[in-house]
Amino acid sequence: MRRGDVLRFWGVLVLLVVLQFSLRSRLGNERVAPDFLLLALLIYTIRARPGASAAAGFLVGLLSDALTPASFGAGALAHAIVGYLSSWAKAVFFAENLLVNGGLFFVGTWLRNVILAVASGKLAGPQMTWELLVWSPLEGVTTAAAGVLVLMVFRQWLAIRLEQT
Amino acid sequence: MVLGADRYATRGDTLVFLSTLALSLIAMSLPPGLRDPVASGLRRSILWPFLQLQTQSEELRISRTRLVQVTAARDSAALAATFLGELRAENTRLRDLLGLRARLGSRFVPAEVLHQASPTDPLTVVISAGARQGVQPLAPVVAPEGLLGIVSVADGSTSVVATWAHPEFRASGMAADGSVYGILSPRGTAGPGGWVLVLEGVPYRQRVPFGTVILTSGLGGVLPRGIPVGTVIAVAGETGWERTYLVRPAVPPGAVTHVMVLVEPGAGDLRPAFEPDSGGAQP
Repeated sequence: MRRGDVLRFWGVLVLLVVLQFSLRSRLGNERVAPDFLLLALLIYTIRARPGASAAAGFLVGLLSDALTPASFGAGALAHAIVGYLSSWAKAVFFAENLLVNGGLFFVGTWLRNVILAVASGKLAGPQMTWELLVWSPLEGVTTAAAGVLVLMVFRQWLAIRLEQT
Repeated sequence: MVLGADRYATRGDTLVFLSTLALSLIAMSLPPGLRDPVASGLRRSILWPFLQLQTQSEELRISRTRLVQVTAARDSAALAATFLGELRAENTRLRDLLGLRARLGSRFVPAEVLHQASPTDPLTVVISAGARQGVQPLAPVVAPEGLLGIVSVADGSTSVVATWAHPEFRASGMAADGSVYGILSPRGTAGPGGWVLVLEGVPYRQRVPFGTVILTSGLGGVLPRGIPVGTVIAVAGETGWERTYLVRPAVPPGAVTHVMVLVEPGAGDLRPAFEPDSGGAQP
């Protein structure tokens, strides 16, 4: 990537981080609103190597854990796994397609929540069921919708080739 | 940064991945004494500008909501301004008469709740008031409806609150009339958003009617007496000598947006401050 492309790429990621802390609380229920921080990570993993994606996921997760200390470490684990798998899967299986990327955002969000809920050990029984079957899928849908929107608006800046479905 | 479109995981990638997993597991196994300073350091350094941004955003949101209310009240206020001096004097007299501050018996710090996108967010929440505002660890955190939790870590301008939903939360509770005492602890969920508490250790011979309001008892010295915690909704179980009751919490931790930190709780009974018409607990 050229220097200008890299700057624009990072500009979009910074924008998503800012949205996480400024806009997210205004988008309705906190448990359903899109996770812009995770979205930034997943967009990064589309272009980055699996190792760099895992490291980025670890850092994002650690920062997230600092804000929810009840699950300290679990967020780092979940984000590192999701970052690595996303980057690896994109390289091995997935085409550069808008819907495929949307699916990646949905599955990434759901998987992150599953790993976090299990690894934290703080949710059990009906709490876990509701989290994994209701709240996480809903958050995945909104995150995927936001991600698709971001890709459509910033596809040139993100240097992502999007084929027609 | 290395950006490449088409690549598989190399040995180096796998090594980095395994390293992050190992570091994550180490982070998970850290005792609170080591974990809290790390988390606190991150909140005070890298995350500080973002938490400030979230605080400002919350305040802006509140401002806009209140602007509508203020605009609606403006006409009435203009009329009332005619009698402002008289109203002010009357208000002062009434406040003195009611002894509102004395009844609350506490100095409090208002704060916004900064929710995060995590399934465990209701267990611990970050609020926008910290040590600079006088917040100390173990300070009770209340909403107008009742107890949210206690401060577990106080940073400079933010604090972490362990809510009543946290698995380690315990409080001594009592019926509103003081007839029944028990231990309150979190217990799972009763629905999509309905986390509930249980009141344990109630002697078998003492019945607690459904709808009874449960308050903090003040035993233990951390939480002052008389803060509403929830309402009894069902019997959760019976053993040889005790009954356990399900309690619907007064404050949903995932939805609460504004709280008060009682920085000098005192030893008094806060019950009057939470009565509907007292206005003493309004942030």
